[in-house]
Amino acid sequence: MEELIRILEEIQPDADYENCTTLIDDEILSSLDVMSIVAELEDEYDIRILPVEIVPANFNSAEAMWQMVQRLREG
Amino acid sequence: MSFTSLGFFILAAACTCVYYLLKSSHRWICLLLFSALYYAAAGPVFLLFVLFAAFTTWVGGRYAVGQKKAAVAIPLLLDFGVLAYLKYSAFAVSLLNLLPGVSLGLPQTLLPLGISFYTFQSAGYLLDVYWKRCEPEENFFRYLLFVGFFPQLMQGPIGRCSTLMPQLQEGHAFDILQIRRGLWRICWGLFKKLLIADNAALYVNTIFDEYQSIQSLGLQGVLMYSVQLYMDFSGGIDIALGVAELVGIHLDENFRQPYFAQSLTEFWHRWHITLGTWMKDYLFYPVSLSGWMGSFRKMCRKRFGKETGRAMAVGVANLIVFLAVGIWHGPAWHFIAYGLYNGVIISVSGLLTGTFRKWKRALGIKDSMRWFQGFRMLRTFAIVNVSWFLDRSGSVPQALQMLTSSFRGSIFSLTVIRSDDLQYCLLHFLPVLIGCVIVLIVSIFKERKKNVLAWAAGLPGWVLPAVFAAVLIAAALLGNKESGGFIYANF
Repeated sequence: MEELIRILEEIQPDADYENCTTLIDDEILSSLDVMSIVAELEDEYDIRILPVEIVPANFNSAEAMWQMVQRLREG
Repeated sequence: MSFTSLGFFILAAACTCVYYLLKSSHRWICLLLFSALYYAAAGPVFLLFVLFAAFTTWVGGRYAVGQKKAAVAIPLLLDFGVLAYLKYSAFAVSLLNLLPGVSLGLPQTLLPLGISFYTFQSAGYLLDVYWKRCEPEENFFRYLLFVGFFPQLMQGPIGRCSTLMPQLQEGHAFDILQIRRGLWRICWGLFKKLLIADNAALYVNTIFDEYQSIQSLGLQGVLMYSVQLYMDFSGGIDIALGVAELVGIHLDENFRQPYFAQSLTEFWHRWHITLGTWMKDYLFYPVSLSGWMGSFRKMCRKRFGKETGRAMAVGVANLIVFLAVGIWHGPAWHFIAYGLYNGVIISVSGLLTGTFRKWKRALGIKDSMRWFQGFRMLRTFAIVNVSWFLDRSGSVPQALQMLTSSFRGSIFSLTVIRSDDLQYCLLHFLPVLIGCVIVLIVSIFKERKKNVLAWAAGLPGWVLPAVFAAVLIAAALLGNKESGGFIYANF
């Protein structure tokens, strides 16, 4: 999780990843940020993120992203 | 049937009355019949194109569950094939004719009303079903209503199945406040279209169509076009949203004070929002997540480093998306240039994000500083206006010529539309000026999260008919009698 937050801060430093649960809903992360995050997650965790996963629920918080990563690693 | 015609308002009023007279479970049938009537009025043959798009995507949706690619690919190829043939075949043939020895006749095609909008909406449904974002609709006629709901047919907004489909099928209860909100929204749209956009069009058409003899006034022309386009398109959307509101349906917002945007990316999050989200969900994400883009990203990262490599891949995806946006606008080079201009600026600013961040840190500039926000807003407005030259001009050379001559000679002329009649010019210019001030004030309230529409709906009952009558009388006296309908109805 710490590694994930480091990645997120590298891409968009102006967000509170520890507490925020509306990163997409409040437009803190743009679609460009989301794509940069997806690219990093794919490379860092050796996973494949398909379009079906690109929904606000999976990117609204660092925790949600972490859950998605875990699920895709297991799957 | 234009949104500003008497026929349209009779149809909308009749639809609202019949809707509430019917049993709750039958109300969607009323919407379907009135939608068919609306489209048939434009030309019965056009109805066939809506039926075709709806039927192919409905059948596709029935088989798309379970990730069957062919069930998605075949309807998409058919529907986008029809759209491409009707909208782009003449352009493609004219390109082929540039080849030596080729001289093909240009195909004569008709362009059904709103074909881009319902093709995109039905394609979105199919992909949402495929990606399990919504359930396939079992009843074809209910689905047909989703594709062809008449207020949104002509110029959007492009609806999504997850939010629009359930609303269309629900029998909404009569609510006088909702009716008032709808009527206020229609009134607001008419004000923007008839008094501001149509009068601004007089200046825009003169300056752009006669640019070779005028040789100046490019700045005035483009600023007035930025007013015309926003008021025309958002006014039309206001009317569509207002009519839908009369029957309790909330269509997606398509504009959010776009000229307050502080970057071009943000502008596209505020301007034609439903097209932007469509492009993001169904083109940008799939392209960005494709295998070849993944390989390209890895190659860029190896070669240019982590951050630049990542931004380059996102940038290429953006270029593809904005090329599509340009092509969507029409079969002409200046539209393609318009799309690519936006794509290049967004991609390059993505590449330079880290550098900008370092500069701001070194200069002690924070995004929250008011002067910096104001500067960014003005800069974005200027960037957008350059793109409007490409959008409005008839060709790329014309756009460049008008852009470069913007500050040459006189930059403003009140009487350019009729040099011998100052009164005529004032009667058409003042509504634009006063209208813009009113829209600006309302926009500031909206930007501060004030619900202006709810406030207006709560005013005493006599205010709405009085304002409505005032708008219609003012439009009759001061409006442009030669208005040519809505700009985006041609898409």
